[in-house]
Amino acid sequence: MAEATPVVEMRNIEKNFGAVQALCGVDLVLHHNEVLGLVGDNAAGKSTLVKVLSGAYIPDGGEIFIEGKKVHIANPWGARSMGIEMVYQDLALANNLDVAANVFMGREAVSTRLGPISIMDKHHMEQETQRLIDRLKIDISSVRSRVERLSGGQRQSVAIARATAFDSKVTIMDEPTAALSVAAIDKVLNLVRELKAQGSSIIIISHRLEDIYQVSDRMMVLRHGRKVLDCPVVGSLDEFRERLVAYIIGARDDFAEKGAN
Amino acid sequence: MHARRTKMLFIKNAKELFLENARELGMYVALVVIVATLTIMTKGVFISSRNITNLLNQTGYIVVLAVGMTLVIVIRHIDLSVGYLSGFLGAVAAIAMTRWHLPVYLTIPLILGFGIIAGFASGFLVAQMRIPAFVATLAGWLGYRGALQLATMAKGTIVIPNLTFNAISNDFIPDIPDIGILPGVHKLTLILGILAIILFIISAIRDRRKIIRVNKFRALAINFFILKLVFVSAIIGGITWLFAGYQGFSWTAVVLLVVILIYNFIMSQTVLGRHIYAVGGNPEAAELSGISVKKITYVVFCSMGMLAALSGIMFASRLRSATTTAGQLFELDAIAAAFVGGVSMSGGIGKVTGSFIGAFIMMSLTSGMNLMGIDISLQYIVRATVLAAAVIFDVAIRRREK
Repeated sequence: MAEATPVVEMRNIEKNFGAVQALCGVDLVLHHNEVLGLVGDNAAGKSTLVKVLSGAYIPDGGEIFIEGKKVHIANPWGARSMGIEMVYQDLALANNLDVAANVFMGREAVSTRLGPISIMDKHHMEQETQRLIDRLKIDISSVRSRVERLSGGQRQSVAIARATAFDSKVTIMDEPTAALSVAAIDKVLNLVRELKAQGSSIIIISHRLEDIYQVSDRMMVLRHGRKVLDCPVVGSLDEFRERLVAYIIGARDDFAEKGAN
Repeated sequence: MHARRTKMLFIKNAKELFLENARELGMYVALVVIVATLTIMTKGVFISSRNITNLLNQTGYIVVLAVGMTLVIVIRHIDLSVGYLSGFLGAVAAIAMTRWHLPVYLTIPLILGFGIIAGFASGFLVAQMRIPAFVATLAGWLGYRGALQLATMAKGTIVIPNLTFNAISNDFIPDIPDIGILPGVHKLTLILGILAIILFIISAIRDRRKIIRVNKFRALAINFFILKLVFVSAIIGGITWLFAGYQGFSWTAVVLLVVILIYNFIMSQTVLGRHIYAVGGNPEAAELSGISVKKITYVVFCSMGMLAALSGIMFASRLRSATTTAGQLFELDAIAAAFVGGVSMSGGIGKVTGSFIGAFIMMSLTSGMNLMGIDISLQYIVRATVLAAAVIFDVAIRRREK
């Protein structure tokens, strides 16, 4: 697995906000069919790093490679067209629309085009959405339910399903389990496992270490805009947590010399 | 076994239909109650062919504005400028025909074009300059009021002599020559009504077949489906008969029908409509999905401007002249109609057909109370109550849904 070209490779990414250095030379590698957990304290640079990848921020330095090809990501649409999908923390869904409409938002299926007016193919969109939620084993009674009537976990599932619906190469999830009930968290984690089983490559940011532990193959810790740990997820949850916390609070650092240079 | 299943499906459909459409059902019930009450209180005069025809001709210019306002409110904005814009463009139409001697068939597209430009200007302030729509269009309200007074300054009133132009809000579609049957009934209107019913039934059956092919259980149960067909056909038939009993469909009715059909189609069946609702529901999500909120804002304000122009044409045609006070308070009538019709201030919710019903309810109240000779001050209070009740009902239902 390691020898193959990574899906995503970010090299030496830098990003400044005025005088604040949010990212000072971060490397990130994501392999095919891998789930990478990204952790760190508040303001460690996790969100900034994935926002660079999803096109929300333009980096001040560094290179990005998608399947070995160097790319320039200028905005979220550009990232999307390269197969990078982001599930936003604050649920980028329109509550007034139904499940199918949300899954297809911005890329509605068209049956007839009359000049500037395109008629939607609603049946196709509903069928495809039904197929998608069946495939991912998401528990929603009807694709015609308005999203505002769904529970938090169901909504998060729709947001994730939507991100994976169009043959994306990478799915980025920013705190997918924040603000969810315990039962809903389990559902979302199951969904992540299901996606991995079906071959997706995923980057997942979470404050909840047990979530990362449960679903990730590998994890990366950021601190003050630098990578301090990059290793496979092994051992028991308690060991894992103890070890991780040491890196998160800055007691340990695997890349200390590199950072000093 | 089979019968039981059908029955269960029937009950399930009924429950779903009720829950999903509680707001709309409430509005139709209110409409029926108001029409019935007014009819009884006026001893049947209210529902007479003549009164309903006049009512629609007087309401047309508000309905057109309410349709445009629906889209504006759906994307979480407001347009206060449309009343005086409508009045001003009506005056420009009058000037174009009387002073510039333009033919009517050139004047109408020209005015509609001016409307689009005016809408573009509002769109520019809101989408590009990021000025709150309330303030931007309040400036428009002042500006167009001044422009209207400038345009009508010379005489105060510009009389429009053009018969074709004045026909829009005053005349009726022609009838086929009398062949001896049904004297006193407008036969072309009847024929059009029957055609509409046939078209409706054919398209409903085709839709149902399409749904059944995808998922059998998602279609309405057959008895419910037939009930729906009979109900809608009866309504179309009833309305047609009402119009046929006086002078047939007025040109205003034709214009309204075309505007409502086009806008309803765009909002419910096209990508543009879906994007408008998406922007209203969650602008950030829409933007992240690759929908340009700016573009949608421009499109919606341009459409509003065009409809304001159409409204101005209809009002000038109705009065056969342009006056200094044309368009006064139209914007507030249109906004009230949209809210009574179920459009939500929080964005993303509201239908074009709802706003039409809303406008019709508000104008029915005026017309009915005028017939009853109720004092104008009381009329305002009654309409205020209806508006408040509609919004309270709306909020209550939405809260229960959550």
